[in-house]
Amino acid sequence: MNAAEVARRAGVTTATLRRWVKDGLVLGAPRAAGAEWPPIAIAHVRIVARLRQRGHSLQEIRRATKEGRLAFGYVEELMPPIDASFTLRQAARRSGLEPALVERIFGMLGFARPERLGEQDVVMLEQMADILDAGFPLAAFLQLMRVYGQALAQIADAEVRLFHLYVHEPLMRDGVQGLQVAEQMGELTARLLPFSSPVMDHVHRRLLHHFVEQDIVGHMEADLGAAGAELGRMRTAIAFADLAGYTQLTEQQGDEEAASIVERFVADVTHTLPDEARLVKTIGDEVMLVSSDPAALTDWAVGFQALASGRPLPRIGIHAGEVLYRDGDYYGREVNLASRVAARAAAGEVLVTREIVDIAESHQEFERLGEVKLKGFSNATELYLAVIPELG
Amino acid sequence: MGVDIESPKEFKQVMDAVFTLMSEDDDMGPKLRDADVPQRFEFDDVDMVVNVRSGTEAEGVNLHWEWTDDISWEPKVKMKMSAEVAVRYFQGKENVPVAIARRRIKTGGDVKAALALIPITKPIYAQFRGLLEDRYPHLVA
Repeated sequence: MNAAEVARRAGVTTATLRRWVKDGLVLGAPRAAGAEWPPIAIAHVRIVARLRQRGHSLQEIRRATKEGRLAFGYVEELMPPIDASFTLRQAARRSGLEPALVERIFGMLGFARPERLGEQDVVMLEQMADILDAGFPLAAFLQLMRVYGQALAQIADAEVRLFHLYVHEPLMRDGVQGLQVAEQMGELTARLLPFSSPVMDHVHRRLLHHFVEQDIVGHMEADLGAAGAELGRMRTAIAFADLAGYTQLTEQQGDEEAASIVERFVADVTHTLPDEARLVKTIGDEVMLVSSDPAALTDWAVGFQALASGRPLPRIGIHAGEVLYRDGDYYGREVNLASRVAARAAAGEVLVTREIVDIAESHQEFERLGEVKLKGFSNATELYLAVIPELG
Repeated sequence: MGVDIESPKEFKQVMDAVFTLMSEDDDMGPKLRDADVPQRFEFDDVDMVVNVRSGTEAEGVNLHWEWTDDISWEPKVKMKMSAEVAVRYFQGKENVPVAIARRRIKTGGDVKAALALIPITKPIYAQFRGLLEDRYPHLVA
């Protein structure tokens, strides 16, 4: 690509491009007129153009270029460009989906209304149409798209942030100059990028295998027990666990140490959970867990507290009931109640509701605490304290 | 599913096999040696005790174990269980917190260290099951 073409693609005149090069805004640009531009410089021109559009001064951009702050933008160059040869209506027609549905799918995935779509987008839409044609309910499909969008956005965001914090920032701190930063990062990314999708695909398949097995067991046990719940609702045990005194700990020991403690806590939870339970999400120092087997979840909580030592100690609250499953998360009164029960627990305690006691009292010991008015609930809730076994 | 241990002698052979697997595993062995957590296992129904510690450089092994309490080191973690629970535990069929809550495993000492060993020893489950399927199929849980 020559200078004229680079300028055209960036949406600027050749004279502007020449001035940017002369002013040191574009690193890696060829010196000879009519010479071929390297990809790294082409990417940089696009970044400079974007920054100018956003109102940054030439002086600011020059300083950022010199310090290597814009170097991560080169990574973008390693990814295949997204073509845009279809209008939304054309893409919809080829995939056999309604334009409104295409728009909705993109919204669920976390994108704005797509004005133009590429060949890969259309292939994806065709595959989605096949899934719906095969009989997968639209309501469930759209929820799945939202979950994909949220999960993949979190992955992409983490990849960029971690690369920035652990690769880009240290290079800049070491005083490595702009072009070298870009080259080193480009080289590393080029080596890592091809592994990202196969790793995710493999992890996804392994997790799918695990959850399918869990679902089969859960179904069988549900069939043996209570009557079926309404569509989208399910019976489950919900637990919330967090570290008592975490805020104070952060004040005393600082963010990094507190974050390490949470990391260890979440790892301990993950490594020790029984097969029937899973971690739904972490919110700061809190974890939310669900299980198709309330007794197993309660036993785990009791055993986990028995194993807990040193400060800060966890506190755990468990409740079971019918919940609404939507977009990969669990909602409803029973979830809120479980959260309130956990908030009521003290360090080292497992607090449970009557529903849990009914299921687990055949093999676990509980002390009745009485009826307690929990925040946000009009009726009092009967709470029990699980007895933690003494270790030898 | 229960496992049917034929005799204390068979149980000892099986436990020796599992510790050998852990010690000789290229990944797990060095990790367990570096973790340096001496453990005491008591199998109350067969009245047996085994003490396990990291191997020394002179011994040239990752783990060293003796079927006695007459040892020259202090165990850091103590675990008490039946022989059947032990065989299930090393196959990954006994969740440690759940087994503690159900009083199938009693533990003491540095429980934090015990927790840290769980992810390290997880890969042994599949290997141990493979060994049992080959040589002791009646012990597969």
